[in-house]
Amino acid sequence: MRFALLLLLLLSSLAARAESVAEIHSERPFGYFVGDLIHAWVDIRASADAELQAASLPSPGPLTISLDLRDVALEPLGDDGGKLWRLHLTYQNFYVSLDVRDIKIPGFALILSHPAGNETLQIPAWSVGVAPLREVTPTKAAEAVDYLRPDGAPPKIDEARPKRVAAILAAATLLAFAAVARDRGWPPFHLRRARRFARLARRLGAQARHACADEEIRAATQSLHRAIDATAGRSILGHDLGAFLIAHPQYAPLEAPLRRFFTASERLFFGGAREKDHDVGGLARLAGALAERERAT
Amino acid sequence: MSETFDGRLDVWRDRARRFEQEIEKAVIGQSRAIRLITISIFSRGHVLLEGDVGVGKTTLLRAVSRALGGDFVRVEGTVDMMPTDILYHTYLADDGRPRVEPGALLRKADRLSVFFFNEINRARPQVHSLLLRLMAERSVSAFDRDYAFPHLQVFADRNMIEREETFELPAAARDRFLMEIAVTAPRDAETRRQLLFDPRFHDPDALVQRVEPGSFDYRAVGAVADAIQERVQASEALQHYVLRLWLALLEPASASVSLPDLDVAHLVKGGASPRGLAFLVRAARVRAFLEGRDYLIPEDIRELFIEVMAHRIFVDPIYAMRGDQPVKQLCRAVFDATPTP
Repeated sequence: MRFALLLLLLLSSLAARAESVAEIHSERPFGYFVGDLIHAWVDIRASADAELQAASLPSPGPLTISLDLRDVALEPLGDDGGKLWRLHLTYQNFYVSLDVRDIKIPGFALILSHPAGNETLQIPAWSVGVAPLREVTPTKAAEAVDYLRPDGAPPKIDEARPKRVAAILAAATLLAFAAVARDRGWPPFHLRRARRFARLARRLGAQARHACADEEIRAATQSLHRAIDATAGRSILGHDLGAFLIAHPQYAPLEAPLRRFFTASERLFFGGAREKDHDVGGLARLAGALAERERAT
Repeated sequence: MSETFDGRLDVWRDRARRFEQEIEKAVIGQSRAIRLITISIFSRGHVLLEGDVGVGKTTLLRAVSRALGGDFVRVEGTVDMMPTDILYHTYLADDGRPRVEPGALLRKADRLSVFFFNEINRARPQVHSLLLRLMAERSVSAFDRDYAFPHLQVFADRNMIEREETFELPAAARDRFLMEIAVTAPRDAETRRQLLFDPRFHDPDALVQRVEPGSFDYRAVGAVADAIQERVQASEALQHYVLRLWLALLEPASASVSLPDLDVAHLVKGGASPRGLAFLVRAARVRAFLEGRDYLIPEDIRELFIEVMAHRIFVDPIYAMRGDQPVKQLCRAVFDATPTP
């Protein structure tokens, strides 16, 4: 229940004719403890030509040793034949009272501008009742802790939604991290190798089913060279075969056919002669054998 | 021994192999250097030797000269040497009057097969320019006439360690050398043990005497060299391969060559010249001939590439203090990145 206290009804300026009026209201005039916020508002009525000077509003800060002004807000409420403002004031009480008593809230002055001149509207001091939190001499207690009130129960917060959001975000983070790792070739993606020989064996196998021209044999030979180069990470010549097989021991059992392949390729491309058994079928079989070893890794 | 070439290259291949075996009697653990020198002889190219002191460069050359036949002249580069010191022999005669006569080089002109210039970068640029003419034209002018050196092959040794009182060979002179051969101490422990403890390696004169002269006649080498160049074929695939290598060397970025801590795009400033590449193909053909093939394969090019190309390429001065390592690294990376066939 809200109490409205009309403290001051009429204040006429000494200057004369203006009938500016201020009314002070508060939520209740009593029952404040130490630390409580005191919400009050001042309704100011003035003539239609009046302007309230913002500079004259009280500024937040300590007012007395035990009273602070925390917040000031001016709300124009429209004019009904005159101007009406509502000035919201929030005080905080720090007075530790030992009995029930009134404390004084200091007054202040507002300045209203009229075409004829300025008018000072004095808001008088008013008071609210404060009360102690406990009796002056409490009942004897056996233990010191008994003088303290038990802690209040913590508020119950529903955890279901934050947990769900956290789970969704964690999953999204993991997915993004996996995408980055795949892009950068971080473990475990570093082990992923293109199955070059398997792909090549499939292609050459399909080609070998029909008769091949010399040009196709050259292209097939070249593509097997490129697959070997890609596996080694550099260009491999016939003389490098030994080093290649040491670096990739899984292909070592195929040394003899690989050596034959390099010799035949050398004759084909540089010696100007094709060996009889060097054809796409043979290349497909070699690629197939390499693909088998490739799968073993 | 035959003084003229009879067109039988297979006979000459055997002679070349016997020549190598003869040199190996005197110089052990240098089979690669010996093979490269043989290639340079049959390419009719001049050779720069690079290596530490006391690894056997002079012994190697004396053995080559003895096996090859013909005369051998050796000159030591010094900072005060002038071209006339090489050409002329000046002395006071018995009658007390000064005489100027042809020096050893001019006297042996038509029989000279090996001219060894030791520590060539100790000599001044005037001497380098004499050498340039000697190498390019195989002739010099003295006593108001031209002396021709039809069988001459120049071997020079660079001291790459000391920098004081040395004159770096100009690019034009370096480019005249077919290859730069590194002579290093053998790595094999058994060979090293022999070199240290076998007394026959302690007397270079006696060692060189073990080489049987006349594996072939040095006067026929020119004709054999021409025949090799005609006989050994370079297929279209190989020609494209060499062109791709050349492009990768000039524009490494275009062949996606990259090296750690080297800016490959600005590394090579010059020297990868058409003459250099032509020399490379020439030497590669000789290697194919010695290996018993009548066609070139990429290994021929790769095996000789660093020896033939590295000394001609000059790099950005910012890498100059790193010696020839950047060029060698680049060459290897270019081969790794260039696919064949």
